[in-house]
Amino acid sequence: MKLPYSWLVELSGSKWPAEEMGDRLTLCGTACEDIEPTARYFDKIVVGKVLDIKPISGADKIRQATVDIGKEKLNLVCGAPNLEVGQKVAVAVIGARLAGGIEIKKARIRGIESSGMICSESELGISQDHAGILVLDDSCRVGKSLVKALDYDDYIMTFELTPNRGDSMSAIGVARDIAALSSSKISRPKFKIKPSKEKAGKYLKVEIEDKSACPRYAARIIKDIKIAESPWWLKKKLLMCGIRPINNVVDISNFVMLECGQPLHAFDLNRFGSNKVVVRRARKNEMFKTLDEKEHKLSPEVLLITNGKNGVAAAGVMGGFDSEVRPDTTDILLEAAYFNPAVIRRSRKFLNMTSESQARFEKGIDPNGLEYAIDRAAYLFQELCGGSVLSGMVDCYPKKIAPRKVAFRPQRCNDLLGTDYKTSLMKKVFKDLGFTIAGSNAGTNDKKLMVVVPTFRPDIEREVDLIEEIVRIRGYAEIPDQVGNIGPLFTPIHPQDKFKEDIRRLMTGQGFDEIMGHGFDDSRLAALVNPGQPLLKISNPNSVELNVMRNSLIPFALTVMKNNIAQRNLDLCLFEYGKVYFPPDARGNWREEYRLLILVTGQTQQTWRDKSRRYDYYDLTGVLENLSSRFKMPKLEFTGSSIKCFDSELSFEVKCDQKVIGKIGKIDKAIAARFDIKQAVYIAELPIPDLLKLCDNSRLFEALPIYPASSRDLAIVVDETVKAGDIVSTVREAAGKLAEHVSIFDLYQGKQIAKGKKSLAISISYRSSESSLESNQVDERQRLVVGSLKKEFNAEIRDK
Amino acid sequence: MPLLEQIIQLEKEALERIGNSDSLDLLNAIQVEYLGRKGKVTAVLKQLKDVPPEKRQQIGAAANKLRVKLESLLKEKQTSFADLGPKTIFDPTLPGTASRAGAPHIINQVMGEICQIFYGMGFEIAHGPHVETDYFNFAALNFPPDHPARDMQDTFFVEGGRLLRTHTTPVQSRILAERKPPIKIITPGLCFRYETITTRSHVAFHQVDGFMVDEGVTMADLKGALVAFCREYFGEGLKYKFRPSYFPFTEPSAELDISCFLCNGKGCQLCKYSGWLEILGCGMIDPSVLEHAGIDSEKYTGYAFGTGVERPAMLKHKITDIRMFFNNDIRFLRQFT
Repeated sequence: MKLPYSWLVELSGSKWPAEEMGDRLTLCGTACEDIEPTARYFDKIVVGKVLDIKPISGADKIRQATVDIGKEKLNLVCGAPNLEVGQKVAVAVIGARLAGGIEIKKARIRGIESSGMICSESELGISQDHAGILVLDDSCRVGKSLVKALDYDDYIMTFELTPNRGDSMSAIGVARDIAALSSSKISRPKFKIKPSKEKAGKYLKVEIEDKSACPRYAARIIKDIKIAESPWWLKKKLLMCGIRPINNVVDISNFVMLECGQPLHAFDLNRFGSNKVVVRRARKNEMFKTLDEKEHKLSPEVLLITNGKNGVAAAGVMGGFDSEVRPDTTDILLEAAYFNPAVIRRSRKFLNMTSESQARFEKGIDPNGLEYAIDRAAYLFQELCGGSVLSGMVDCYPKKIAPRKVAFRPQRCNDLLGTDYKTSLMKKVFKDLGFTIAGSNAGTNDKKLMVVVPTFRPDIEREVDLIEEIVRIRGYAEIPDQVGNIGPLFTPIHPQDKFKEDIRRLMTGQGFDEIMGHGFDDSRLAALVNPGQPLLKISNPNSVELNVMRNSLIPFALTVMKNNIAQRNLDLCLFEYGKVYFPPDARGNWREEYRLLILVTGQTQQTWRDKSRRYDYYDLTGVLENLSSRFKMPKLEFTGSSIKCFDSELSFEVKCDQKVIGKIGKIDKAIAARFDIKQAVYIAELPIPDLLKLCDNSRLFEALPIYPASSRDLAIVVDETVKAGDIVSTVREAAGKLAEHVSIFDLYQGKQIAKGKKSLAISISYRSSESSLESNQVDERQRLVVGSLKKEFNAEIRDK
Repeated sequence: MPLLEQIIQLEKEALERIGNSDSLDLLNAIQVEYLGRKGKVTAVLKQLKDVPPEKRQQIGAAANKLRVKLESLLKEKQTSFADLGPKTIFDPTLPGTASRAGAPHIINQVMGEICQIFYGMGFEIAHGPHVETDYFNFAALNFPPDHPARDMQDTFFVEGGRLLRTHTTPVQSRILAERKPPIKIITPGLCFRYETITTRSHVAFHQVDGFMVDEGVTMADLKGALVAFCREYFGEGLKYKFRPSYFPFTEPSAELDISCFLCNGKGCQLCKYSGWLEILGCGMIDPSVLEHAGIDSEKYTGYAFGTGVERPAMLKHKITDIRMFFNNDIRFLRQFT
């Protein structure tokens, strides 16, 4: 909401400079976000009179004008279609700087010298309108500076209001806060209507069918008005509030709304269609055309103002097309009503349209404030449109809404705020806000005040709302900052949080960068990666790329990879610890779960010492093995399984303690291609709950060995189909308890050995916890190992 | 001489010469003399084929052992000469070769730092589901149906009648419903709002919410805790101001601004020339929120606060585009190792 500073000064009598006013209002909750001088672009702009207009040969859009600016006559080139001889216009002379960064210099246009510019409203920064030049009132004196001629030296204050404060959505509303802050009173403009003898009641009856949706509906009739342009003072106020002037009738309605917060609507009485206003719910599928010429199919969600038959306005949201005020309108029916905020909200949502009126009705206006508004508008119709105001207001207000009484305990207020305010001070704050304290017969006593809250503050219903008023007006700076209450002494750390931190440390320690997802996925990509798996769909997605919640971390990881590859970041070791989501199951249980994703792709870092190589599957299993040993999990196994998103040759389940705890593999080529990925990508995905269950956090010390170890190396040649894992288990079995470590330290396939064979080098470390091993004991074991390998795998022992 | 004795002799001789050698050149010469293609040890190994098979293994092993021993001794000594290096030129400027550590995501780092500070003040970390019910996300937090406050948090709904939580405050609703005061909790995590994705807004973002409920908790306690947090996180010496605001679940409600740490409140681009930065929203827990959870709001009072994570992260690290966080470009991620 924008309001000119001068208006607030006029209503509140405040002497604060604009900056201070803005700061003080912000500190009381009426947040002033911006203060801008109105005449920022008015330097070197003067009033000129158009003396003569000549066409320019060869140009049909621009003309040349001679303009008198007092001291001299300027020759100006102008493209505005509304330029006419005799007009008073705003002339920017050489050196002026206009809105949008235009600087006025001497220029030659089509060979014609132009030493200035005739300005539009948008070039002056007073509105967005740049369709034509601004035509000034004839009373403006030629040569006078524009800012003086228009009386335009002011500040525009922009307010960002919270949704609970409907009362401050007007100049008077903000002025009330200024008055409360400075312990003064607002002064509302005084006016007097000279009603005609004719009674409004003769022309109009009001019936309200749904009284809870519309607790009050009032109307006045004004006859014999003349639709015209508004006077400058009125247009100026609207422009400064960011509202486009239209004609005197519309402008007056808007002005009164901006002044006091009560929305008004003017109908053309002669097009109203009856002499009866009926407020009712719209019928299902009832058709209604709003004044922006849109046809709506309604429902009972919408509250409708009707003439007894047809809709004339969607209550509180927008007027109807048929009864709209037009240039030939002479008589008007002026509506001022109070609608239930929740009803207006539902109407607005159903119609999917917003307006200045709707915003105010929805936040709650003063049901008892509409007399002022309707009279103020009627007075202005009388003064500015030559209208004759019929006597009497037709007012349907079946159940008067009385000011609320709210109990307030000063001690409770201090207890909640941690302050030490005296009761007298609190009473003063209420008085400054325009609240009153009821007498003892209404329940006020030493410990409790019954505060009477005027109806313009519907947001104040409870004691705590009054406490907020105290702190809002006194300012938060008066509350001490102390920590008096420290609460529980013990703060546990939950195992999941610790695990997440441990995983993050483990992964980053191994050179993996952590990525982070937003939880959304594109259903097409999700179904491609995880076909047939249920997806949690967004009912109101804001794009097709984000229309489901992810059920796997893989699609997002591939998207991240795609983004990186596009930037030529080709070598990636990534992990994510993130959530996946599922639709409710048959029993209506909702599930979401954390998972760990690990991804490698591209090449290892090349240094001057080490060659780089491609990342592969074993880089992933290595990380998983580190993970299982870090958390003392049972041994991991990787067993072939055809998982849809993986290459069928490289697709495995991760098993631990006979349970599947995840999957690992190389992303299928066709799927990778959908993410514009050509290089090999290896991914593992493991649900965290399964990992957590397998963790052994006992971390018991094992005694260090006393006796030395003795190691033996062995090179064997076997069929290439023989699995290293099986060889290691066979070796372990044959070597027995004395075998402390068995590792494979070389793998060779190539020219030196037969086709279809591979050579493996195995290192076995033997150790006894009871004595030093003799070499014959070790040799004995080693013979058993060789025997088993020969028997099991037909292994051939290679000489070194 | 039998081969075995030859081997013993060679060992003795070679060890002595290696021991006495005083230059890399000499060592290299010794290496060639013993282990070269025509070297003395090599010669012994070549003779193995003439040895009767029953002795071959023993002699072979001894010869090999010698070879290995000499090799390692030579290498050790060569290296020590290289280290002294009058002959080879050592280049200390070659880049080091340790592998690099990965970077934890900056948002997790910032969230961790924020939680750490509150943890130090005795707040326990708690979590809740991302897919929430209307009750915990709104109704229990005093957002009545058809109230304009609901428009402050544009919501994604999911099929099946739930929604994506618009803040982490529903964790507060859940904990208040489960536990008895005193309670002191901090709730970090992902939230979702129906927003257009721009440099300044996204459909997903992180929040850290916190609250405390006990007997006699006042707004002064709230100010004390938050001022302590800001000093710790943004640095000593900053100015702060609380100004009234509105949240359905707190009353009175406030917004906390701190003086811009970049310009010290003088006004700069970061603070949009206001000298102030908006940091978090807070207030005293609305009595109706406590009553919803079955807590006697006359006996107990509480405060609550919440801050985004992306915004302070952007302010503190001068990140200009919120989309960077979910884009996960590794060049970005690695700036925050």
